[in-house]
Amino acid sequence: MIVAGVDVGSTTSKAVVLDDRRQIAGTSLLPTGANVVRAAERAFREALAASKRDESEAAYVIGTGYGRYKVAFGDDQVTEIGCHARGAQFLFPDTRTIVDIGGQDTKAIRISDRGEVLDFSMNDKCAAGTGRFLDACANVIGMTLDEIGPASMNAQKPIRITNVCTVFVESEIIAHLARGEKVEDILRGVHLAIGSRTAGLVRRVGTNPAVTFTGGVSRNVGMVQALEERLGVSVHVSPLSQWMGALGAALIALERVEGGAVHRIAAGGAA
Amino acid sequence: MATTTQTTVPPDLGKTMQRDMLAKYYGALETANADGVPVAYLFIPGNIVELTQCFGFLPVYPEINALQCGIKKVAGENIIRAEDLGYSADVCGYVKNDIGLMLKDRQSPFGRLPTPDLLVCNYSGCNTFIKWFEALAHFYGSEFFLLDIPYIRESEISPGDVAYVVAQLKELIARCEARTGVTFSEARLREILGYSREAEDLWVEILHLARERPSPFDSYFEAVFYMAPVNMLRGTPESVEYYRQVLREMRARTDERRGPVPEEKFRVVIEGPPAWPHFRAFWELFKRWGAVAVASTYSKVGGLYDQGVRHDPSRPLESIAEYAMNGYTNWNLAKRADLLRRYVEEYEADALVIHSVKSCRSFSVGQADFRESFVNELGIPTLMIESDLADPRYFQEAQLRNRIDAFFESLTQRRLTGATA
Amino acid sequence: MSAPLGRVEDLRSLVEDVTFPRAREWKEGGGKVVGSFPVYAPMELVHAAGMLPVHLFGAGGGVEIEAADSRIQSFVCSITRSTLELGLRGNLDAFDGFVFTNICDVARNLSGVFARNFRGKTVEYLHLPQNVGSGAAVDYMTGELRRLLATLERMGGVNISNDALAQSLRAFEENRALVRDLHEIRSKAPWLLPASEAYVLTRAGGLLPKEEHTRLLRETLAEIRSRSSRSMDKMRILLLGSFCEQPPFALLRAMEDAGCYVLDDDLALGLRFLDRPLAANGDPLRAIAEGFVHGAAMSSVCHTVRPKTEWLLQRARELQVDGVLFCTAKFCEPALYDYVPYKEVLEKADIPHLHVEFEEKMTAFEHAKTQVETFVESVMFG
Repeated sequence: MIVAGVDVGSTTSKAVVLDDRRQIAGTSLLPTGANVVRAAERAFREALAASKRDESEAAYVIGTGYGRYKVAFGDDQVTEIGCHARGAQFLFPDTRTIVDIGGQDTKAIRISDRGEVLDFSMNDKCAAGTGRFLDACANVIGMTLDEIGPASMNAQKPIRITNVCTVFVESEIIAHLARGEKVEDILRGVHLAIGSRTAGLVRRVGTNPAVTFTGGVSRNVGMVQALEERLGVSVHVSPLSQWMGALGAALIALERVEGGAVHRIAAGGAA
Repeated sequence: MATTTQTTVPPDLGKTMQRDMLAKYYGALETANADGVPVAYLFIPGNIVELTQCFGFLPVYPEINALQCGIKKVAGENIIRAEDLGYSADVCGYVKNDIGLMLKDRQSPFGRLPTPDLLVCNYSGCNTFIKWFEALAHFYGSEFFLLDIPYIRESEISPGDVAYVVAQLKELIARCEARTGVTFSEARLREILGYSREAEDLWVEILHLARERPSPFDSYFEAVFYMAPVNMLRGTPESVEYYRQVLREMRARTDERRGPVPEEKFRVVIEGPPAWPHFRAFWELFKRWGAVAVASTYSKVGGLYDQGVRHDPSRPLESIAEYAMNGYTNWNLAKRADLLRRYVEEYEADALVIHSVKSCRSFSVGQADFRESFVNELGIPTLMIESDLADPRYFQEAQLRNRIDAFFESLTQRRLTGATA
Repeated sequence: MSAPLGRVEDLRSLVEDVTFPRAREWKEGGGKVVGSFPVYAPMELVHAAGMLPVHLFGAGGGVEIEAADSRIQSFVCSITRSTLELGLRGNLDAFDGFVFTNICDVARNLSGVFARNFRGKTVEYLHLPQNVGSGAAVDYMTGELRRLLATLERMGGVNISNDALAQSLRAFEENRALVRDLHEIRSKAPWLLPASEAYVLTRAGGLLPKEEHTRLLRETLAEIRSRSSRSMDKMRILLLGSFCEQPPFALLRAMEDAGCYVLDDDLALGLRFLDRPLAANGDPLRAIAEGFVHGAAMSSVCHTVRPKTEWLLQRARELQVDGVLFCTAKFCEPALYDYVPYKEVLEKADIPHLHVEFEEKMTAFEHAKTQVETFVESVMFG
């Protein structure tokens, strides 16, 4: 028996297929694109293919992410806050605080020792402090997202970036470049600025160790360092951070099955 | 326990009555300037409508116009018109809606509003009110009277504060006499205050019904509708009759164990103004979780009646002064936080929901601090959501749904496992 | 001959120092310190209690805002957030109390956030009369001042006599007269005294013990009057922003460098707040109340009986300005509301004007400077 979690985000869709021993059998990651329903289906199928298991073996599917209601074949929807909480606690059982910096929003989640959400705080209103902010900065400097992190760690004298607005930070960076400041110093400043904003968000729920850093931006080593510096604690990062939501969804799906829930397709289509 | 009461109250009678009252009110406003009926502009918090009534003034409440424009989906264009005139994106949407209306010759969805003969700036609970009516005085050239109502900055109001307000009320009376030619009659004021008091008593009985399980009405989404007459049309026998009817209606709902949702699953206290331009959609986000508001603070901006505030014919100007100081936004943060905590307890709520609106600093500055203390010191689950009360552009349904869903998801989970913060 | 640079730069470092060395010194000497949030507070009372009055002006760019976001939202003026941040980080530990007044809803609520978060400190909020045309305003304010006095007495464990109050009033009056003299010179002979220098000299009065500041002003005024700089062909402007949040010093300098004589401004207005001498005899509290009710400086945070637009035109004409520069802090509601009627009357009167937005922590001024330069060029050479 397998279960699946499908995380449909605004930029990417991810799926995780889990077996009944809580082992990851298959994953997928693809751009969401314009057709959200199709993206959800494709993510599910690709993860299944990777797992070499058949759809008929899937006992329960949970959709998460902004597009969770478009996971038409799903049995239920759970918010990505709930799913990240479960996923992070599974990978790092000592997790009590989760910091998720995604492409468009940032979340701080306080959880119990069972991965239950106790409190959360989000910045979902503006791009400042999200992956988009990093995108814009990388663009202006002419580097890729993979390059800016390592480059920032070579800074000698980080420059203080004061603009929180993604639109205006571009001109601020250009001004610094024009003044001949070093790219590494500017980048470190950018990473620290995001670290500060994120730390402010985390403070609303409390920085309770251990802290797990998830979301696409957690793959940026410069961001990990900046966040640790601003939070004053070291953070867990997993190579599976992009699948945290889908993994959590799959874990919740497994719990539902263990609790007696039945996959509606397997039940012959009865709602 | 349901009783077998004869339900002779047509449901929604209150809604019909209010619709008729407001239609009559707006009808009178439309002809006021032409008929020479004097018009006074007032704010809701701390309004002195009983006094202006003595002189035959018709009251206009720009805040009510703003929320009505929000509901009728025209606030957005009014706001843009004001921004084109030079008002910043960062100032209050209510003010901009009003300026936008002015630029459209005050053509509103409910008729053409009259120009003011007197701007009574009852400065209670909001500093922006002063800037608002100063701007209207500039544009209309109308007479302006600032009624300075001290902020409640200690635990109780002081005699010095009451004396100051009473002295100003007397000065206002003199100005009203000069403007209208009508002599002030204390007897008339007492009569009017008697009606206010009755309506206030009835309204509080209605509010207290939300203690029932299930609550017969939503003390936020429905309260902000039913509160209109006690906020704007006090002092009339019609408003008393209205609240008698609404109370009957709500008692009938209580007897039938009928509430605003099919099954009450969560009881919440809601702090902050509603998202008027997206009112129904906003309410839906809560309804789908079976969440019902059992108390709210926005319903108290026009007076903290359920905390004992009453107009009193035996102490006319003093009770008007006390009422004027006791609107929710005129209470300091410590008193507000304490009220929220008492509401959670008294109405047996499961959580506090804070709807923080961009426009209104009076409400929203410090709400994050409430959240902090409620979650960490009091252990009361608290959800913070953000949009605006007037500007439709700030309502992001997907984000709001995400936060609301995550919150009720976690409450559901915690109920199952008995987890505490 | 221009001003000895040492002094201006020293004063600038002092006013920008977010560790408040003078307050700490005073505290170490066994005294108490009371801070006030802008715009105006009747700090004579603090002085009479033997405490050091300090005018808080936010942190400028001196602190990264992190902790404050967990208490108040980010879309309000930076000065409220940075002042709160200073408190949460311990920069205000030397302070025993704070005084706030009813300038706007954000500052009002900030006093409540301070009260809950700094329980060991005394936080007082004064509701100063806005209905200054009322016959009851002076009595009311006198009562409010008595309330503050009682709070200070409790804080200090002292009794503040009428004599002590009268003495403090005299010290403040003496100081205010010199501040008026200073600003008279910068308005009438801006080539002798640049606005940025007058600013920093004024603002230092919010940090230094009153007597020390008075001495400093006397010395400086003597020196300024002996200067022999010549008048230059610069654009004469009035700078308005209803400043609680102060623009970076470098921005002021940038405006002057762009070719302006800033003949008057409302920077650090709380330290120039009463425009005429207070009544010398009788009840000192009543004298302050009368001074406030009848002679408060014009600002967007105080209501006036006379329309402010009238005052603006009169002031612009008195100073014979070439233009008016509105420089408003991002998110500052009072200033942003008044801007629209102000703009309208200036347009009708054919007085050139410009609106520039700033934040206390900005470090890049190219944009603002370019706007001012263009403004100057279009008016002076257009």
